[in-house]
Amino acid sequence: MAPTDPLTAARAVGAGSEQPATGTVRRPRRRRVGFDRVSMIVVFLGLPFALYVLLVLYPFTQAVYYSTTGWTGFSDVQPFVGLDNYARLASDARFLTALGNSATLLLVVPVVTLTLSFVLAVLVTFGGSTTGGVRGLSSSGFYRVVSFFPYVVPAIVIGIIWSQIYNPANGLLNGALTSVGLSRFADFAWLGDSDTAMPASMVVIVWSFIGFYMVLFVAAIKGIPAELFEAARLDGAGRFRSAVHVAIPGVLGSVRTAYVYMGILALDAFVYMQALNPSGGPNSSTLVITQQIYTTAFSQGQFGLACAMGVVLALLTFGFVTVVLSVSRLAERRLGA
Amino acid sequence: MTDPSTRTPAPFQRRQFLRVSAAAGLAAPLSITLASCAASGSGPTTAASGEAAPATGPTDADNPFGVAEGTVDAVIFDGGYGTDYASFAGDLLGELHPGSTVEVTASTTIAQQMQPRFVSGNPPDLLDNSGAGAIALSAIVDSLEDLQEVVDTPNLDGTVIADTLYPGVLDVGMYNGKLAAINYVLTVYALWYSESLFEENGWAPPRTWEEALTLGAAAKEQGKYLFTWGTEAASYYLTLAVDSAIKGGGDEVRLAMDNLQAEAWSLPAVTDVLAAMEQVVANGYMRPGGAGTQFTAAQAQWSQAQEALLYPSGSWIENEMKEQTAEGFVMTGSPAPTVSTDSALPYESIRNTPNEPYVVPTDAVNAAAGKEMLRVMLSPETATEFARTKLASTIVRDTVPEDAFGSTALAAQIDMLEAAGDQTFSWNMVSTYGMTAEVNVLWNSFLSGESDAGTLAEGMQALFDRIREDDAIVKIEIA
Repeated sequence: MAPTDPLTAARAVGAGSEQPATGTVRRPRRRRVGFDRVSMIVVFLGLPFALYVLLVLYPFTQAVYYSTTGWTGFSDVQPFVGLDNYARLASDARFLTALGNSATLLLVVPVVTLTLSFVLAVLVTFGGSTTGGVRGLSSSGFYRVVSFFPYVVPAIVIGIIWSQIYNPANGLLNGALTSVGLSRFADFAWLGDSDTAMPASMVVIVWSFIGFYMVLFVAAIKGIPAELFEAARLDGAGRFRSAVHVAIPGVLGSVRTAYVYMGILALDAFVYMQALNPSGGPNSSTLVITQQIYTTAFSQGQFGLACAMGVVLALLTFGFVTVVLSVSRLAERRLGA
Repeated sequence: MTDPSTRTPAPFQRRQFLRVSAAAGLAAPLSITLASCAASGSGPTTAASGEAAPATGPTDADNPFGVAEGTVDAVIFDGGYGTDYASFAGDLLGELHPGSTVEVTASTTIAQQMQPRFVSGNPPDLLDNSGAGAIALSAIVDSLEDLQEVVDTPNLDGTVIADTLYPGVLDVGMYNGKLAAINYVLTVYALWYSESLFEENGWAPPRTWEEALTLGAAAKEQGKYLFTWGTEAASYYLTLAVDSAIKGGGDEVRLAMDNLQAEAWSLPAVTDVLAAMEQVVANGYMRPGGAGTQFTAAQAQWSQAQEALLYPSGSWIENEMKEQTAEGFVMTGSPAPTVSTDSALPYESIRNTPNEPYVVPTDAVNAAAGKEMLRVMLSPETATEFARTKLASTIVRDTVPEDAFGSTALAAQIDMLEAAGDQTFSWNMVSTYGMTAEVNVLWNSFLSGESDAGTLAEGMQALFDRIREDDAIVKIEIA
């Protein structure tokens, strides 16, 4: 069913584009549909579409349906309860806390990560000496490789490493702080204090992604013609002005993409939070929606309710992406005009 | 559900097999083939109604559940006890019933892996539903076999299994009158300490909270703490508090707790204990930083660095910390302290809530073999092997020799149980309703001094109230 519609569409396009090339042919010629074309359409359009329906759209609809049931997850009985689950979520203090924490992550993590990685990208591309050609800091190749390291390490490993760094009794952080004389940090529980748990967790996420987005921005900055930087410098622009007036407009498209990715990651954040504070942190200060979905579904046996949370998270994600895209489109129009 | 005979050639439902056992032998080979079909490719909704007849054969004294030839699918939690003890029992079952082979699958994420199998009506024949990723039993209790039949059957030596068990060990598996789970490993909850360290300093384990405060002061003099805790295991202090409160207030407290009653956290026996614990925290007797410390790291502060004197835990602690216990640490245990010396239950009384809940799903194709596997596991030979290799006792009595295989903690566990006699009690609401995560949040705050006893009690009560009033959660009535 699915492949036939794109097929006719593609045929029509193919026939249309054929005409000017042949020139001498007067009447529209119906091209024979060869095996090559059909197999190409099936493989490159039909198959991905079928997979998309099966693995993305179908589970989505299924989850939406489950969210209207009181399914425990362990039986084949799915009593229909309408919108009860959503009503329960609206008054579920723990879920609302998780929602708030996820929103905080969404607001803070992408901005901090992208700002820092942009600064690093500037330093390694044109932040070097202002005499001679436009270039990055000396040995910037080394910094580029080193800052990419965290991205190569799996998230769960990062979580475990950092939970050891934050260990109150013998972690690196408290060890360093106490050795420079800050004795109030002896046995300070970074992940166990409700004021510091969330910032400490954010640092871990930011740390692990800076390198990747730096590389992305480096590539984007390299895509800007070098003459622009040289011209700006001849006009007397320093590194900061070059960054703001040349680099930023040039990498806006990458920023948008990066912002969407980073935002979706911040809304997820499951692996990091689960590794750093599996029970949701002191006073639930690091509990995120995905963790709440997990416990509700698997340890409390309420899949219907968990699916409702999933639907809320999906809507939140769509909303976020829409906002980012329209804001960046507006910004582009203003800058580009 | 309609009789499967209208749809499949197998002539009987399993229940009928158990009743008219002799005739059923004919159907066995056929039902095995059907069973393997159902096991391989069943969709989410169809399989449960169109399930194949289970494989059962004739029953007799050597084969009380009618195990037929075939494969037994046992999914075992791969935690502190590993899975080799199940393989040991599986081999024994294979010897008893030629033609049967037990396939042991190790798992650490039971709920995630078993969820699709329960939904599609294709659960394992025997499941050890344990660990952090266990299924909330209240969610599957209706699709589990009543295992009363197993404990009413003679073991391999011919003694009825129920008569060979420690008292009260089956209570935790009773769900609204049905023995839905048999918790296999005996677990007493106590305060663990190093006898050698205590002897050196002339200390004694505290019998009351007042003695605990005195001991805390003595520890402080040596730069040590009374307790330590880890963030994922803050709930161990809930265990300590509830045990102490039950000893103080008796059955009334136990029932209030286990049934999530409205006033549970304002009973005097409970608030007294919380006040005492608040004092422990206020005096600085908790090792600081626990809320940010991974729990095994915290436990090592007690067993390896010996910065803390006492640690409340289940008796799995020796096995868990085997690699991280200091030389000369003679691990032993004592019952939870009480508020006053005239408590409702004697000081010796102790919580005995066995762990490793084994269940046999009703939809299992080879449920009979699942039960037979339990019968083998509960027989002296397997139970003794378990005690010898794991240094922990099963719920089967008299499998641990006098020297407890050289384990002081195991010896202490048996001593405490003998001293308690029939004054053991059990409660299980935290795992029944999957509350650990939320409990940890409240107790981490309390133990680190961020909240006081009143806030803690309020929080716990709110948690109880929310679950009790949620009609979507199946309640287990505890009597």
